[in-house]
Amino acid sequence: MTVMRNDVVKALAKVTVQSDEHGLIPEYEVLVNLLPVSLLNTVTERLLAAAPERQEEIEAGLIRAAYECGYHTGCGIITSEIFNEVVMPMVTEGEKDILRGAYAAFTAWGWAKSGIVQLKEGQRMIIRAFDYYEADNQEGGLRAYMLRGLNQAFFDLAYADPYPDGMNTFVCKQTKGIEAGDAYGEFVVTKK
Amino acid sequence: MAFKRDFSLDENTYRHYLNGHPVVMHSHHYLALITKLAEDLAAVDGPQILADAVEDSMRPIFEDFFDKNDISALKDKSAVCTEYFSTFGLGKIAINGNEHSGEAQLSRSHLDEGWLMKWGEHDKPINHFTRGYVAAVFAALFGHPPRSYTVTETAAMVTGEDQSVFVVKKA
Repeated sequence: MTVMRNDVVKALAKVTVQSDEHGLIPEYEVLVNLLPVSLLNTVTERLLAAAPERQEEIEAGLIRAAYECGYHTGCGIITSEIFNEVVMPMVTEGEKDILRGAYAAFTAWGWAKSGIVQLKEGQRMIIRAFDYYEADNQEGGLRAYMLRGLNQAFFDLAYADPYPDGMNTFVCKQTKGIEAGDAYGEFVVTKK
Repeated sequence: MAFKRDFSLDENTYRHYLNGHPVVMHSHHYLALITKLAEDLAAVDGPQILADAVEDSMRPIFEDFFDKNDISALKDKSAVCTEYFSTFGLGKIAINGNEHSGEAQLSRSHLDEGWLMKWGEHDKPINHFTRGYVAAVFAALFGHPPRSYTVTETAAMVTGEDQSVFVVKKA
């Protein structure tokens, strides 16, 4: 058996995170927040608009924020009780299956309705996303900085040195985007 | 007034909703780094851009809740805003004041505690996110346009205080 994506998505989609009596959500070895996507998209757009001459630096900062979030939270997710319960029993192909499970979680938890379309283990991966919240930003070109950071993070977790020493091994480029008029978002992860 | 948390899921897109508004999970790493990015953009007023974006994005969510649940009493509206803060996982906030001035205190703070876990203490307050949140609360409570309130963080957990304090003044 390998990871049955639809079963995993359905099981994980039922998981909701709720704050404790301190108004905090300590889950997956981090403090989780649950913020309106309109806010996240507005912050991105306004920071980019404020300093067009520093676009590269701002884009790098947005990707970095998602990357570090994805790397640390991702590690918490793939070692969590729920992942262990739902995904791990289906894992028969090592990292490849863990990555498939991670993309099922990606979909189930609303980051992106996405999946792996090509995988050369430890070298290259292509992801397609058919819905993601950054696609709501239609003000200028490819804008899926969060997904770029998360894709890079998950590939680092799967194929770079073990956590926490494998950061910045791979890089992700966005080649297509719903926000830019394409039918889907496409992301290519390769070695840096 | 009982605050409602209606979590729902679009089974086609798998987007998640809280009281009808799409929400998504991130971690303290994300919010700390977005705040750091805003700080790095101080030359173009990055911290205020972040605060204003929060003010403009949160207010419609508060007002939508007031409208849909027939909430008109000031204390009930204020309770909605403090409950939302905790529901978003942002910590524990207490808000007091009137149309002209007020104060907000954080006894727990996702951003400050996250920043401390990630980088340790800082030499100045960094919670522009909550400054914007508090500005949205006061504008929504008293029916004033955006940017009607100036919110200053006068004490901060990231600088070593036990609580963060935000002073609110009508602009």
